[in-house]
Amino acid sequence: MKKHFNIRVADWLCQLPFIFKPRQAASLIAGVVLATSVNAQQSADTDVSTQSETTQSGGLNQKDGAEQSASQWLEKLAETVSQRNFQVSFVLSRLGQETTPYLWRHAVLEDGTRMEQLNLQNGPGQEQIRVGDIVSVFEPDAQPYSVSSGAIHGPIPSALLYHPDSLKAAYKFVAVGRARISGRPAQQLRIISRDNTRFSYQMWLDEKTGMLLKFNTLDLQGSVLEQIQVTSLAISETPHPYFAKVNKESLPRPMASGTRDTPSHNWVPAYLPEGMQKVQQDVRRLPGTGQAVEYKMFSDGLVDVSVYVQNAKQGLGGDLALRHELNTFLSMRNGNVQVTIVGEIPLQTATAIAQSLQIKKPE
Amino acid sequence: MTQQQEQMSAFMDGETDSSEVLDAIKNDAELQGRWQRYHVIRSGLRKEATVAPQLDITSQVAAALENEPTIMAPKRSGWRKVFSGGVAPFARQSGQLAVAASVAIAVILGVQQLNQPEQVSSPAGSATPLIGTPGGLAPVSLEQSRPVTRSDMASMMEKKRKINALIADHEQQIRLKQAKQGDEQAKRDEQ
Repeated sequence: MKKHFNIRVADWLCQLPFIFKPRQAASLIAGVVLATSVNAQQSADTDVSTQSETTQSGGLNQKDGAEQSASQWLEKLAETVSQRNFQVSFVLSRLGQETTPYLWRHAVLEDGTRMEQLNLQNGPGQEQIRVGDIVSVFEPDAQPYSVSSGAIHGPIPSALLYHPDSLKAAYKFVAVGRARISGRPAQQLRIISRDNTRFSYQMWLDEKTGMLLKFNTLDLQGSVLEQIQVTSLAISETPHPYFAKVNKESLPRPMASGTRDTPSHNWVPAYLPEGMQKVQQDVRRLPGTGQAVEYKMFSDGLVDVSVYVQNAKQGLGGDLALRHELNTFLSMRNGNVQVTIVGEIPLQTATAIAQSLQIKKPE
Repeated sequence: MTQQQEQMSAFMDGETDSSEVLDAIKNDAELQGRWQRYHVIRSGLRKEATVAPQLDITSQVAAALENEPTIMAPKRSGWRKVFSGGVAPFARQSGQLAVAASVAIAVILGVQQLNQPEQVSSPAGSATPLIGTPGGLAPVSLEQSRPVTRSDMASMMEKKRKINALIADHEQQIRLKQAKQGDEQAKRDEQ
């Protein structure tokens, strides 16, 4: 494990966005920015007097142009993360929490096999290795295991990296313009849910390679909930020597996820955010307490929301709203059932889903 | 503290790299237990605490499930039909992954209170507009400052355990969903 992570550089880079807000940074290199400004930002920024002319003169066509150019940047990102050999270090910060550093590598071997590694660099760590479509997970407190999945489950949403098109039903992508991130010229994009009921995102992609350089998750008020900041980026012709050391035979064998029956439930949420669909449904017992729950999962591709319905007697005995990391945890009593929503969505969206729950009368 | 334990402690801190210590640990069950406990304590002290002190939760629950004949659930008529179809114990559904993810219960140590009500207009198209704190929903802090009685403490712990179970399950479901999609993808590729 690489122990000499340069903390000072990481700290400095984390502070960068606070010292130079993207806006101000942009005005620092104003000459360049104004010349190329593709400004279609629709946020409530009021202090943008220097750029308002460009925005107004653009009209409708410019908005289309911005969406198209956002797609082009996302395609470039998808190509880079799936076709190139790279090593990226990034840090993940959340308000009031310690920063966590990650190392992320990807390689395309001579035989065409794609390999990927994501390593949590602090403490006992966690290592995930992907060989083709098999992801193996090594954690300090559990038996290593493998699952078949085309992407590692890490802090950067995999749908955004590999299948940005699948998010278009729920989100719109807007190109904002140029900025400087991690010392490199970058393009800023915004990702906003179409009905504004979910967290929004800002992302900055390297102009040269399309690689992700920075990724912010914002709440509905626009404050940053989580930030991913790349601290170093190396794209190479040949795979990193690390991948030659991985003994593929010694990785755990993938387990079958098994087929599940989908028993019917007598409840359904009448309200769902735009672009969100049911992806799972079953009746289970919770691993922690052994309690029986009826369960549905809804997803818009970027965030997954779990809805639990259980006997009110087994529930939390009251209404409760909490936040755990980015997850909103909301539990409400509805008649004689307890409804719990868990997911990375704003509280009012979770409340709207919970309150819209319609319970059919049993026959 | 015996000399052996001292050596092991030094070895853990990287102060000695004697292979004797390793051999001693390999051959001594008591030392092995101590080795594990030291690591649990250490990561607890460092607030890393991803090492769950008790890994047997799943087997305990699974054992409890075996012995449990019926489940209390709302709307008995509806539920009984479902359960007679059989609720698969979670361990059988997801195998190894369940074990791995269930450990996450111990990882979630503190749950922050959502203390500032977010104020934003209700989602467009929402069936139920939200004004203020809906349904008398009061954010409840799990950390209480007033003196707590023993029964308060017990119910708080119970509450915390239930919350952790739900959050851990949500995170496990997300992983399972990815694995499931991977399986479906693999099947499509085969065809």
